[in-house]
Amino acid sequence: MINLLIVTVVMGTPLLYGSISEVFAERSGVMVTAIEGIFLMGAWAGFVGAYLTKSLLVGVACAIGAGVLTAALYGWITVYLKQHQVVTGTAINILAVGMCSFLQRVIFGVPVSPLTVTPLPMLPIPLLSKIPVLGPVFFNQNILTYLMYLIVPASYFLLYKTSIGLIIRSAGENPEAVDVAGINVDRVRFILVLVAGVMGGIAGAFYSIGYLGMFTTNMIGGRGWIAFAICFLGNWNPKGALAGTVVFGFTEALAISMQSSGGGFFPNELFIALPYILTIVLTITRKSFNVPAQLGVPYKKEN
Amino acid sequence: MNAKFRDLLLTTFLAIVLGLGLSAVMILFLGKNPLDAFGLLFTSIIRDQYTFGDIFVKATPLIFTALSFAFTFKANLFNIGAQGQFYIGAVIAVWSSLLMGGKVPGPLALLIVLILTAVGGGIWGALIGYFKARFNANEFLTSMMSTYVALAIMNYLLRTVLMEKKGEYPQTDALNESVWLPTFVPGTRLHIGFILAVLVAVGIWVLLYKTPLGYRIRAVGYNADAARMSGIDAKKLYVIAFFISGALAAGAGYTEVNGVQHMLLQGFNPDIGSAGLGIAILANANPIGIIFASILFGALNVGGTIMGQMSGIPSSIIELMEGFVMVFVILSYFVRARLENRREKRKLQKKVEE
Repeated sequence: MINLLIVTVVMGTPLLYGSISEVFAERSGVMVTAIEGIFLMGAWAGFVGAYLTKSLLVGVACAIGAGVLTAALYGWITVYLKQHQVVTGTAINILAVGMCSFLQRVIFGVPVSPLTVTPLPMLPIPLLSKIPVLGPVFFNQNILTYLMYLIVPASYFLLYKTSIGLIIRSAGENPEAVDVAGINVDRVRFILVLVAGVMGGIAGAFYSIGYLGMFTTNMIGGRGWIAFAICFLGNWNPKGALAGTVVFGFTEALAISMQSSGGGFFPNELFIALPYILTIVLTITRKSFNVPAQLGVPYKKEN
Repeated sequence: MNAKFRDLLLTTFLAIVLGLGLSAVMILFLGKNPLDAFGLLFTSIIRDQYTFGDIFVKATPLIFTALSFAFTFKANLFNIGAQGQFYIGAVIAVWSSLLMGGKVPGPLALLIVLILTAVGGGIWGALIGYFKARFNANEFLTSMMSTYVALAIMNYLLRTVLMEKKGEYPQTDALNESVWLPTFVPGTRLHIGFILAVLVAVGIWVLLYKTPLGYRIRAVGYNADAARMSGIDAKKLYVIAFFISGALAAGAGYTEVNGVQHMLLQGFNPDIGSAGLGIAILANANPIGIIFASILFGALNVGGTIMGQMSGIPSSIIELMEGFVMVFVILSYFVRARLENRREKRKLQKKVEE
């Protein structure tokens, strides 16, 4: 049982990075539908950086760089050129698959044995990690997970208690007012897309070098979309994103433990599909959505 | 030719050239000559009848999945679940074909399989529309997630009831030859599924632009509130549009199972849905444009695979080319809007001067 909770925190970490970055971007009015591609590019660049330099830190930096580049392309087309967000995201997601599998081949050729790196080490926090149950679950994780613990309260504070948060929320609710106040709406949105690139890149790196120590082009497998869904289901709120992440992290942990133990009466596929079924059920049952008024609508100045 | 149409052709052509050009630059990183590679790509697809025919074989399912996305797109709805609807269609097609193969006369069996596949995929898709109409569930999310559920269902069936008699691999037995879609060009794999796809594309165009239902769908897409005011039942349309969309994507399952593979196996065409979406983008969601865009993607697919076998360029170059072309096509939307804008301004200026 403790093991299940440990895996919940592990599987939840990248989902939370992704969903919180999505909360910020969507609050300002942009859906980052390229999130799946950003995760993938992060996973790939993180692996390549770590493998070539033998430094996991460089790996994470590469992941952030790749995530930001992907996000910048997406942000440029959707925010500045005002093109359709779903359509652009789909194109970039396909491009990301082609890009990383092609470049993987350029760099490594066809390796004889699978390439691996040693994943980020667990860093038990002195004293805290000795607490029964809570210790191993929360305080014997890797650095990216600890960083995440700080991000949740920080993002909540930033979004609701600071003037920056007010600007972000206004950009998604009433961009004209932001514009009248002399703030460039497009710039606010573009910056938040870049932030989503940073956090999505880290999330991707978590899958490749934070946890498995390897890279395959199908390793993200819809996790970006799950993070995207968590943002919706969590009502565009960091607290909601946290709640959603716990639920989805637990479902994934359950799926993993069932797959390894054979699952008993139920077929394995049921557990694999569980997070996706859960998303559908929650999307249907959730009654009150607090959708940002201008979500997905490019800001066009009247002239 | 009016100016708008000329812009469309010109910018789309430029987008394709730029997308392929950028992929050519990427080939340089491999230390290969991109001109040789692309020369090989273009000559290889016309090297013999079989290969040339394969372009249309590859284009066939793409026409269906692209139509699937484009159809709901016209109602401003997003069906990102074509991949899953394709899996459901493939499962129904293979299951019913296995049951009827050799027992029911071929043409009749093929017709029944087609109807079952379309209805089954349609119902799977209509659920998304129903959830939207009844519970206001975001169709983007539910359709996206339905693909993963469909994949799990397919994989489960493949290792249980549908598994081959030998019981070795998660795949079905081969279909009886009587339920294969007949080929119509000797020396190729080109089956009548391609003709079906083209006819369906034309049919969808007629449905969208020449019938009251199509008018209502486009009206909802253009302005849902105004459509509702004028008495259009948007909720009913959600279900209908998603039924048709699901049936279209399932059609790809039919042509792939009965026309090409003659069986169903794990890892079956995993990116036919996203490629279809890309094609819909490329064709500006126009059903007739989709036929040509699918043939282009089919050609890239066939040529890219051969290029990979003969010159050692990885077949991921195909996704790279498709991705770049799509990004440039989206940029061409922007350029076109600019051109149109400038023309309007000039017109206005002329009027003012008069």
